[in-house]
Amino acid sequence: MLLVQVLLRVLGSSDLWAATLQFGALLLLPALGGVISERSGVTNIAMEGMMLTGAFAAVMGAKATNSLLGGVLFAMIAGGLMALIHGIVSIHLRANQIVSGIGINIAALGLTNFLLFTLTNGQGYPSLPNALRLPNISWGPLANIPFFGPVLFQQNIVFYLAVLILLGMQFLLFHTNIGLRIRAVGEHPQAADTAGVNVFRVRYLCVIASGLLSGLAGAFFSQGISGVFNPNMTAGAGFIALAAMIFGKYIPWGAAAACLIFGLGEALSPRLQDSGISANLLSTLPYLLTLVALVGLVGRTTAPAADGIPYEPGTE
Amino acid sequence: MAVPTVPRTLEQRPPEPQLLARMRRLGPSLSRALLAIILAFSLGGIVITLTNGNPLAAYWNMFLGAFGDLQSFSYTLVIVTSLIFAGLSVAIANRAGLFNIGAQGQLAVGAMTAGIIAFKAPNAPGWLLIPLMIVASALAGAIWGGIVGLLKAWRGSHEVVTTIMLNWTAFYISDYLISGPFKAPNQANQTSSLPLQATLPRLSIWYNDTLGKFLPQIPQPEQYLVDVSIFFALIALVVYWFITRRTTFGYEVRVIGQNPKAAQYAGIPIKRNIVLAMALAGAFAGLAGSLHLMGQFPYQLIGTTFALDTTGFDGIGVALLGNTTPLGILFGALFFGGLRQGGNLMQLNTNVPIDVYRFIEALVLLFITAQFLPGFQRYLPNWLRVNRPPATATLAASSVGAPTGGAAMVDLPDNGNNLHLAENNGLPPGEKLASVDRHSDQVEEN
Repeated sequence: MLLVQVLLRVLGSSDLWAATLQFGALLLLPALGGVISERSGVTNIAMEGMMLTGAFAAVMGAKATNSLLGGVLFAMIAGGLMALIHGIVSIHLRANQIVSGIGINIAALGLTNFLLFTLTNGQGYPSLPNALRLPNISWGPLANIPFFGPVLFQQNIVFYLAVLILLGMQFLLFHTNIGLRIRAVGEHPQAADTAGVNVFRVRYLCVIASGLLSGLAGAFFSQGISGVFNPNMTAGAGFIALAAMIFGKYIPWGAAAACLIFGLGEALSPRLQDSGISANLLSTLPYLLTLVALVGLVGRTTAPAADGIPYEPGTE
Repeated sequence: MAVPTVPRTLEQRPPEPQLLARMRRLGPSLSRALLAIILAFSLGGIVITLTNGNPLAAYWNMFLGAFGDLQSFSYTLVIVTSLIFAGLSVAIANRAGLFNIGAQGQLAVGAMTAGIIAFKAPNAPGWLLIPLMIVASALAGAIWGGIVGLLKAWRGSHEVVTTIMLNWTAFYISDYLISGPFKAPNQANQTSSLPLQATLPRLSIWYNDTLGKFLPQIPQPEQYLVDVSIFFALIALVVYWFITRRTTFGYEVRVIGQNPKAAQYAGIPIKRNIVLAMALAGAFAGLAGSLHLMGQFPYQLIGTTFALDTTGFDGIGVALLGNTTPLGILFGALFFGGLRQGGNLMQLNTNVPIDVYRFIEALVLLFITAQFLPGFQRYLPNWLRVNRPPATATLAASSVGAPTGGAAMVDLPDNGNNLHLAENNGLPPGEKLASVDRHSDQVEEN
């Protein structure tokens, strides 16, 4: 009885749905990065590390340049650089992309902690004043609509950016020449190569794009949502994004839907404290759902055919 | 018209002395590991220099902190114990061509199971409790890993993805149990300590109580941290050696890992062996969790530990560095354990943050998996070189020096990445038969 009451109260609050969209957007950016990287045939489990690097670079960059945009730029460049390393190692050096991804994740954890310690001399975690934080946008009169106003029209600026990127990527991947090339490179690089597509270039660009998006998500997290950098602050968000990407069957729309579901789970767990449902148990939901999706109970998830296989020019 | 020359095959060569053949196999994997370590330390040194540190002093302190004296070494061995188990877990899965990223989750499940048993039966005698906890934790880990194997064999789900999902599931469930049903009274986010009879004694104290009665005693035994579970780790190494080298299962798993098509043609039960290999991997990882819980103060489970601890992931480095051989894993564990333990003294004495060890670890992973080391090896003395398998079919049979064993992941990158088993082993169509020959040759050489 108590549980139902709490659930009804929580589900009816605009606060919950605003948080759902916020978490959803936070997960969506790296998930879209994963989609484009894996569509081009490079397995990417390093979104977590790129996000963490981005989160750190955002705070440090905003402080150093004393500008809001500086933070975002630093974050995206840092994420892009991590992605570039992943790209070089897995595209040109034909490494195992899983090992490389784990390496990036561990490197990001070590590097951010290391730099945090050396740059701040171990004195506390760097926080940002309000002027340097990514602002929420209020859409004038629209923001005053009951329920829908706070949910849809008072979100952080990155939320709207994420929606635009989602629309753009869906269009890019499935309705343009470039998208066709990306998918061809991921499905059958030899054929794409024969058709005159530069396999390496497409893959590099896609991997770097995933780094830029993950870096932006990191900035959203540290510079937007929390305003402070904590060691290992992403705490698995990049892996939920990975789950969302698979759950969404490597399609931007699908990933977005999965991000909403997982975002709802994230938003629900702190709000159900007094209902007797454990927040910890609720947190397992995204992962269990993804397992169910993988087993094929909600339709089979199939990765691009050449995903994770380094391309060697000249092979059949 | 050119006269075709007769290709030299394995049969036509004079037999090599066994020791030389062994050296030729050892050389490449050794040089690959050494080069990766040297490069990682060099790059790490550059980062330390850039942040106004002295890399040589930092590394020297790191070494002293890990292996400088017996007490430090005993601290290092505590980490080494866990790392050996984690490394074995990754290694045995890797032999089957699978990537076990789930060691961390399997470790959590194992530790949790052992803890639950001890908390549920706090009055049971130690001779019953300890074996029960050890066996149960191995079983629990085996189930957690076996799920991955089942999903792989049954639905073709990629093990990397399923293990990541199961990791986080395990972390959150253990957090729930630690902060809920098994929470210590008046404490936040931790269980109470294990009952005393369910803990493992320190090695030095145990020695004084047994052999020390006849032999010289160790003075001040409390200062040496390592507990008797280091013996279990060494036994596990021998068990691993036996499984991979002396059993049919080990042989079949190697064939599956190196060439699933060949395994299928040979009628090897692929699905069963995959499930078994993953279950074994889970069992090793589960033991890492329970033995650490039982052997080390404060003998309790603490919330969020498993999500933050990196032992399971370090196991990947250990297995890769050790080329999935038992001795290699031992040295890999000593290396990574020393890195982690030595970092403390480094931070204390040179003010270089301990997190450098993670950075170096990541670099070792990247360097060891990147395929540019053969390029470097061109400049090395002969015995250290990688003999790359020749491209043509007939010559392929003579590739004596090609890395053997579990090197499938590193040297045949296609095999480790199979999304659909036995449908897609990445071999060009024309080479199928030839590569079957090549791989069966290699396996026999082992």
